[in-house]
Amino acid sequence: MRKKLVSILLATVTTVSLAACGSSTASTTASSTAGDSTATATSDASAAASESTDTAAATAATTAVNVDTANEGDDTLSVYAWDANFNIPALKDAEKDYQDNVDPNFKLNIIQASQSSDVENAITLAASAGDYSTLPDIVLFQDHYFHKYVTDYPDAFQSVDDAGVDWTDFGAEKLSYSTVDNKHYGFPVDNGTVIMAYRVDLLKQAGYTIDDMKGISWDDFIKIGQEVYAKTGKYLLSMDGDGNDLVYMMLQAEGVSQFKDNTTPYISDNKTLVEVVNKIVEMQQKNVLYLANDWSEYTDQTIMGDMVAGVMNGNWIIPTIEQVKDNSGKWEITTMPTLEGNGKEGYASNGGSSLYITANCKKADLAKKFLAYTFGGSTVTYDGALKDGGVITTCISAGKSDAYQAGVAYFNNQPIYSQIVAMGANVPVIQQSDYHYDCRTQIAAAIQNIIGGADATSALKDAEDQLNMDMGN
Amino acid sequence: MKAKKMSVTAKQRRAGWIYLTPATLLIAIMSFYPMVQALFTSFKTGSSAHMRWADPIFNNYIRMFRDKLFIRSLGNTFLYLIVEVPIMLILAILLAQLLNNKDLKFKGFFRTCVFLPCATSLVSYSLIFKSLFATNGLINLILVKLGIFESNYNFLGTPSSARAIIIIALIWRWTGYNMVFYLAGLQNIEYSVYEAAKIDGANGWKTFWKITVPLLKPTIVMTMIMSINGTLQLFDESVNLTSGGPANTTITMSHYIYNNSFGKGVANFGYASALSFLVFMMVAVLSAINMKAGDKRD
Amino acid sequence: MTNVKSKAPEKTNSSSIQRRLIPTYIFLIIVSFISVFPLYWMITAATNNTVDVARGKIVFGNYAATNFKNLIAQQNLAQGMGNSFLYAGVETLAALLICSLAGYGFELYHDKAKDKLFAVLLLAMMIPQVATMIPLFKIMSHAKLLNTVWAFVLPAISTPFLIMMFRQNSRNFPVDIIEAARIDGCSEIGIFFKMYMPVQRATYAAAAVITFMNAWNAYMWPKVVMNKTSAQTMPMLIANLAAGYKVDYGVLMMGVLFCSIPTMIVFFVLQKQFAEGITGAVK
Repeated sequence: MRKKLVSILLATVTTVSLAACGSSTASTTASSTAGDSTATATSDASAAASESTDTAAATAATTAVNVDTANEGDDTLSVYAWDANFNIPALKDAEKDYQDNVDPNFKLNIIQASQSSDVENAITLAASAGDYSTLPDIVLFQDHYFHKYVTDYPDAFQSVDDAGVDWTDFGAEKLSYSTVDNKHYGFPVDNGTVIMAYRVDLLKQAGYTIDDMKGISWDDFIKIGQEVYAKTGKYLLSMDGDGNDLVYMMLQAEGVSQFKDNTTPYISDNKTLVEVVNKIVEMQQKNVLYLANDWSEYTDQTIMGDMVAGVMNGNWIIPTIEQVKDNSGKWEITTMPTLEGNGKEGYASNGGSSLYITANCKKADLAKKFLAYTFGGSTVTYDGALKDGGVITTCISAGKSDAYQAGVAYFNNQPIYSQIVAMGANVPVIQQSDYHYDCRTQIAAAIQNIIGGADATSALKDAEDQLNMDMGN
Repeated sequence: MKAKKMSVTAKQRRAGWIYLTPATLLIAIMSFYPMVQALFTSFKTGSSAHMRWADPIFNNYIRMFRDKLFIRSLGNTFLYLIVEVPIMLILAILLAQLLNNKDLKFKGFFRTCVFLPCATSLVSYSLIFKSLFATNGLINLILVKLGIFESNYNFLGTPSSARAIIIIALIWRWTGYNMVFYLAGLQNIEYSVYEAAKIDGANGWKTFWKITVPLLKPTIVMTMIMSINGTLQLFDESVNLTSGGPANTTITMSHYIYNNSFGKGVANFGYASALSFLVFMMVAVLSAINMKAGDKRD
Repeated sequence: MTNVKSKAPEKTNSSSIQRRLIPTYIFLIIVSFISVFPLYWMITAATNNTVDVARGKIVFGNYAATNFKNLIAQQNLAQGMGNSFLYAGVETLAALLICSLAGYGFELYHDKAKDKLFAVLLLAMMIPQVATMIPLFKIMSHAKLLNTVWAFVLPAISTPFLIMMFRQNSRNFPVDIIEAARIDGCSEIGIFFKMYMPVQRATYAAAAVITFMNAWNAYMWPKVVMNKTSAQTMPMLIANLAAGYKVDYGVLMMGVLFCSIPTMIVFFVLQKQFAEGITGAVK
């Protein structure tokens, strides 16, 4: 068999070689074209595209880069953002606002990242190469990470104290993220104020109204949740069990932090935290709370899949709730329960981001002017952001516009936006840490372990140890 | 071979070296140089803009052994390796054996079907597996209907079943790929060998162990090295299917390294580099053992 | 092992052979179904709206046009496809040329030194990708190659696996012919291009399938070096669709479908040669 194959090969190859070596002088040029043609013949489909583009590749690719930032005109700014349905429409509205009212030649070049961590990584990597010139002029940055990045990369951002913005017009809690050593760095974009949304039709089946849910304690919540589950088969609350934000939100509503200071966790000896964790475990065990395995199960299965009668999260969760068209008019929002209850309402904030000017921005004056004009308080920008992206402002005066007063049909014509802005003013400022998300992961793991049968005290101690380890303590 | 060696002239030898140069240079610059850089980084600490030598110098390496999460990721990775690789390779040989039957019809169709999973984009494949095994997903629906389970089970939310799903997903995706190699190997085995075995009265099982497996040995060694290598560097499934959860019980080493360099906004390049060096050593040692044990031709 | 038995040269009629193969057919049909089902689901999901996809609907819907319209409204699909084709194409061509040259050199000009070098190069296979990403980024940044096709392809062109594959396949390349060609006055490089390449057609096909698939589906590395919108590839475009506070799964799956088609086509077109190419490699 093998011999036969070899002989066939021999036959074909000799014929080929005879033809090929007939004129040995034409070797290099002829052979390279022959080589190309075999390569293209074998790689067929890919060749179709690459054959023609191969030579053009270098030029096309190099010009492509220049289009993005280097060749920008004096009126163009580039910005890094990550959500096509949320903050990117807001940026587009700001661009239009500035074009219409200040400079018709202005252009905003929005570069889409697939997630917020892409922006963080871009800065980390640029810093490691010691070259910030790969960054855009402006970046959208997650609030909880900003302090850490300013500390680690002090040369990466520019202060915006001289932008001429009335900072008192913004929620204090929001500004606490973008202010480092009393210097302002960021322009707030969205608002993370937590809403507690309920399906009033399902509450009614269990004999409750939305007003019954206001100012209740978590124990009341558990009692009602059990009745709702018994009557309707729906959970009163759900959360991503992997990135469990419940602990942070419930603690903030009590005015308590998971940290003593920036680098000292406050977990196992934190009585409020232990109580909150116990409540979460109790809720899960009594079918009041469904802990999803990850973020997509949380949004897709529990909320869009109609598994729940209640949703508690930053108000950016609203567009997800609204995806289920059939439930329009059945939802209403109110404040969070608290541990104490008896009329005490809970306020918290979760998630959110701000816009920052990078060290690479050579048109800092333009960037400041643009951001101060738009996100510094323009009702045109903020109304558009609300309409197109569901982005709610933390700017107090912009939150008073007509767009914010209108009732929202999906939420039974409640004027939810103005309600949210009002709630936002009550959110307590608590100790933040660069290790916010690290802490969230560790405590979420502890909760999973407790539900799986581990002892609460030792599980939380383990979480604290691992966190200390991550923080290098 | 020997004849060729003797006739090799200096000119030809130079030509030979020229052929190797581009590939060798690229590997040197794109793999070895970065790895040496990573070795230096593994002795450093601090943020990526201001790295400084760690004190003590082996701090990042010492830290590993105190790091419970890393030790768990090590355990998980080896669990996947020990359970998944043998099942997948045996299944692949079995499928190859079935498809290598001259009487079988629609061979090309079956082969294409079994191979397709590895051409599937990762996003769709992870979405599909998550959706199938969701608490309200199709698998639960079937199991409850058949009366195997009383109520819906949270597969991805329970550590042991989440690990099992990662293994199932890996088998689904890579069995066909390995099968193609075995099928190719089988086609190199001459038909007459089987005829002789038949005449000697060997049954199918015996033929398989006495003829097929020994003749496939080089292929088996190659696929094993590829699989061990791939599994020890396992990243995609851990990130996309379970994101390492619940409670980091399914996280793999590469995923943990990634989290330490990019994942949590806390870029710890020094520690991440130290961890990747450990992975490199383990892969190298295991591959060496494998090659020594399997390949006695040379 | 029914099939091994059935290989015996008995004079059984074909219908009884087929009857004996029924369990084999059933098993293969089940395996094929399990393998193909997710792809079927991907296609149906692209025709459904997001809520139906999240609820696991597995039949065709009528949202295909809407999903497509939303997809091209949200993302620059043509640019993503163009970039992916460019990068994957350049990577495939370059890898095929450079690795086949090396594989050919290692086998047909082999001596002790080259064998040692080969063993050293094999070590590169064991280097975890996460370990080299940061140093490689620094190289690309200093060389001002970020966001160019070169940053994408350079680290992936020369792979020990492909070199090994070409080396193995070169074993059956008849040495006598080379000698004959040399006597005929063919240059060394001419032998490679005119004689080696055409004979190794199948190996090239197999290598092309593997390289193209890897390049097309690459995600981690491109995300590090390609941070401009204009340099985005299809997997990055899909990741953009999958990110955010709310995800439209119908649109996402439409994107996934577009991302999957080229690799499928490459595989279907080259699958026969692919099998042949692998055959030589495992000899």
